[in-house]
Amino acid sequence: MRFRLYFKFFIFAAVLTLSREAAYAQQPAPDPEQGRQAYLDNCTRCHGPTGAGDGRDAQRMYPHPRKLSEGVFKFRTTASGTPPTDEDLYNTISEGLPGSRMPDFQRLPEDIRWQLVYYVKGLSPAFQDQKPEPLKFGTDPGPGRANLGKGKELYTKLGCNACHGNLGRGNGPSAATLVDQWGAHIDPADLTQGWNYRGGSAPRDVLVRLMTGIDGTPMPSYAEAVKPEEVWDLAYYVHSLQAQPQWKREVEAVKAPGVLPAGLEDKPWEKAPRTDLALTATFYRGGEIAPSAVRAVSVQAMYNESEILFRLSWHDRTESRENVPDAAGLAFLEDPDLRWSAGSLRAWPAKTGGPQPAVAYWSAASGNAPEGVSPLEAAARYDEGEWTLLARRPLQGKKPAGFGILVWDGGNSEEGRHRSNSSWVKLIFKD
Amino acid sequence: MKRALKFGSLGLMVLVLVAAGNKPQEAAAVKPAEAAPAGGASISGSVAVTGSVPAPEKIKMAADPACAQKHTAPVTAQTIAANNGKLQYVLVYVKDGLSGTFPAPAEAVTLNQNGCMYEPHVFGIQAGQKLEIVNDDSTLHNINCQPKANKKFNIAQPTQGMKSVKTFDQPEVPVSFKCNVHPWMAAYAGVFSHPFFAVTDANGAFSIQGLPAGTYTVEAWQEKLGVQSQKVTVADGESKEVSFSFAAK
Repeated sequence: MRFRLYFKFFIFAAVLTLSREAAYAQQPAPDPEQGRQAYLDNCTRCHGPTGAGDGRDAQRMYPHPRKLSEGVFKFRTTASGTPPTDEDLYNTISEGLPGSRMPDFQRLPEDIRWQLVYYVKGLSPAFQDQKPEPLKFGTDPGPGRANLGKGKELYTKLGCNACHGNLGRGNGPSAATLVDQWGAHIDPADLTQGWNYRGGSAPRDVLVRLMTGIDGTPMPSYAEAVKPEEVWDLAYYVHSLQAQPQWKREVEAVKAPGVLPAGLEDKPWEKAPRTDLALTATFYRGGEIAPSAVRAVSVQAMYNESEILFRLSWHDRTESRENVPDAAGLAFLEDPDLRWSAGSLRAWPAKTGGPQPAVAYWSAASGNAPEGVSPLEAAARYDEGEWTLLARRPLQGKKPAGFGILVWDGGNSEEGRHRSNSSWVKLIFKD
Repeated sequence: MKRALKFGSLGLMVLVLVAAGNKPQEAAAVKPAEAAPAGGASISGSVAVTGSVPAPEKIKMAADPACAQKHTAPVTAQTIAANNGKLQYVLVYVKDGLSGTFPAPAEAVTLNQNGCMYEPHVFGIQAGQKLEIVNDDSTLHNINCQPKANKKFNIAQPTQGMKSVKTFDQPEVPVSFKCNVHPWMAAYAGVFSHPFFAVTDANGAFSIQGLPAGTYTVEAWQEKLGVQSQKVTVADGESKEVSFSFAAK
């Protein structure tokens, strides 16, 4: 009897929410014990046993794991302030949240994922107090019919640039003062970094975020301002801002006969191969992660007989030249074996002594390299949320076998070990 | 079997839909019959502030020219607005002691965004009464409202002249409104089940009219300085003077 009731309810729910996938119509009946067990096995480590966001590893993660007990969900297809649909939760569990520590749970059978959905809903009163109000998103015109020029106009007209910046780098005039619902600073998304869009980077994902807003963050819902069919062009435009990263584990330095290009935008740079390096933050203050702001750096390199020139560029929401300045370091592995003895770049400078990589340092404040590092001879420019740096290093005797990059965002008060680090990358000198 | 179940649930759906359709919308606005008789008593007075009040901070609007161009004089924060020891923007209201129901007025309360400031900064509204939120600026505002007892929302108003209508179902003090684009913007509402509330003016004065005779708990709420409360008894037709005093740190 109970089973039949549940079954009826779910058919009913499926019909009401007009689920887009046939699979959703096959939601299993809730099995609270199975849900509880799956939650304990898969979720508590981060979200905590009661969903209070206080799991064993929670403090070491940024973004912090969601307080499921609070019932504020970012990624929904529903109106601002209303809870997500079952499908929304199912999709988050199944697909994970890129750019965060939330993995996808494809490895779990679909049945178990549904049990997790039911269990998570039971952790917060939000699902009793409010019903989800699913929004409509219109019809995707497809890339061929989307009007990017119109999308670009909408980007400014709807005020996207106020936070996300004119070129989408997350450096708008309001970016520095944004706070989330809990009073903590929050960065607007860098829209050029598609891999970092938590809710997915496809045009439809962009449109859904725009219409629903991202609850708990400053991102508002535009559902009362525009009709979905009016903003597909904008969704495609935002999608078009996403860079195509060249993730590699090595950098190819190109041989330049004679003089190296001294200008940041000199012609030879256009053809030099580019490597994009993801940067990670691993600095903890009192056991809690202090997030770093810079996520990636692009690298090119050219060399001649006497020196090597690196062209680095990275997105930084604020130009900081005083107090805590923006800065970058290049750590060189003169000896490839140093990679093993020096350990990860994030451990630099090592507290225990031993062999150290040679770090050359550039700072946006004029000429004050910290103790123990050599200044990096560099030309730099900050423009519209991006630093571009041309760094010169003499090549004497043995060429470095590899290097790594350190970036400090002064606007995020990053100093010392509070910074973004790359992994070690191989440096290949091409003839 | 499966088919039968399907039809069963279809029936259930229809039933639920019909039930939802019959549910009276905004019940508070359509039941004048139950209205409590308005009285002739009033409570008025003023709110003072003691101690040293810091000079209000200047608001820097330069980052958004659309905001700055609407102001000729410098704009200062309204957080603690004192004038000769009198306190503006204090919400004074009957907290307890009323009986009966008080229908929400049909006319809406307006919350305007003008020159990147909320107008009014503090206001009262009845549960079920319409709140019209208007953007009078040619720039993006978001209205981020996260009450505890009422429905939350965070909506964008990107264009000048845009209007959104919201209602709050439950009494709650305060309900705050924030704009993340312009972080200095803040407005506060008190949502009440009755019309007996007022906000102090530049001289710290308030007046609550039309009260039935009775003994009431009257509260004064200030966004930074908290809540003061006192018991007040009024006879029918009586005008009572009441004063509150907050201590600034």
